[in-house]
Amino acid sequence: MEITTQEYKRLTVVTVTGRVDSATSGDFESALHGLIEKGRFNLVLDMAGVEFLSSSGLRVMVSVLKTVRQAGGELCTAQPAAQASDAIAIAGLDALFRTYPSREAAIASF
Amino acid sequence: MGTFRLTVPGRLDRIREITGLVGEAARQAGFDSRSAYACELAVGEACENIIKHGYQTEDRGDIRVSIASLPGELTIELVDSAPPFNPAHAPDTRDWTPEDPPVGGLGLLIIHRVMDQVQYLRRRGHNILRLVKHLPPEAV
Repeated sequence: MEITTQEYKRLTVVTVTGRVDSATSGDFESALHGLIEKGRFNLVLDMAGVEFLSSSGLRVMVSVLKTVRQAGGELCTAQPAAQASDAIAIAGLDALFRTYPSREAAIASF
Repeated sequence: MGTFRLTVPGRLDRIREITGLVGEAARQAGFDSRSAYACELAVGEACENIIKHGYQTEDRGDIRVSIASLPGELTIELVDSAPPFNPAHAPDTRDWTPEDPPVGGLGLLIIHRVMDQVQYLRRRGHNILRLVKHLPPEAV
């Protein structure tokens, strides 16, 4: 798994690639919580390069979504790979996350 | 069609070897990439449960997997020597709402949503979890 972040004035784009599972979700959580601690509550999660998304990764996403919403922010997903969108749908979480077909559309939503 | 076997130590970073084998067996059974991936997800969750809830931590024992691959049918058996742990009961989702899902229980939910059969057996000090997935007849 690799995580890169790109900060804009109003939001931060987090690009996650590879396998987000129980072996890597701790790093995923640390990266997102690091942003929250810096006051970055508007987050775009670019999931185009996700190859595997387990419940461990989904739990991090749900937990971060709840935290940023409480702070008046939002976490949305951009161009999720089928592996990401299928995992979200199987877990019944597709109504929870705002999803955009491109990174640009997700950025424009803020 | 084929039988696949693998034994790995109960470590979170070894689960991918099992899910990789599941994907290979599923494709050999004629599953498309999405159905194969769904099976990989479910088996990955079952392995995570064995390590976290069965063994309680990593490196306490092995996970032995055997997979039978037939046209349109995949049977996966996971065997471990942890204390009894039965994931065969579907989680109670009556209190779940899409707006506020609990962060726990997602793994079990995924297993039960993906697989057609989830059977648990305790035999000679081992947990045996059998997961079966059928393709719809028109897809075979």
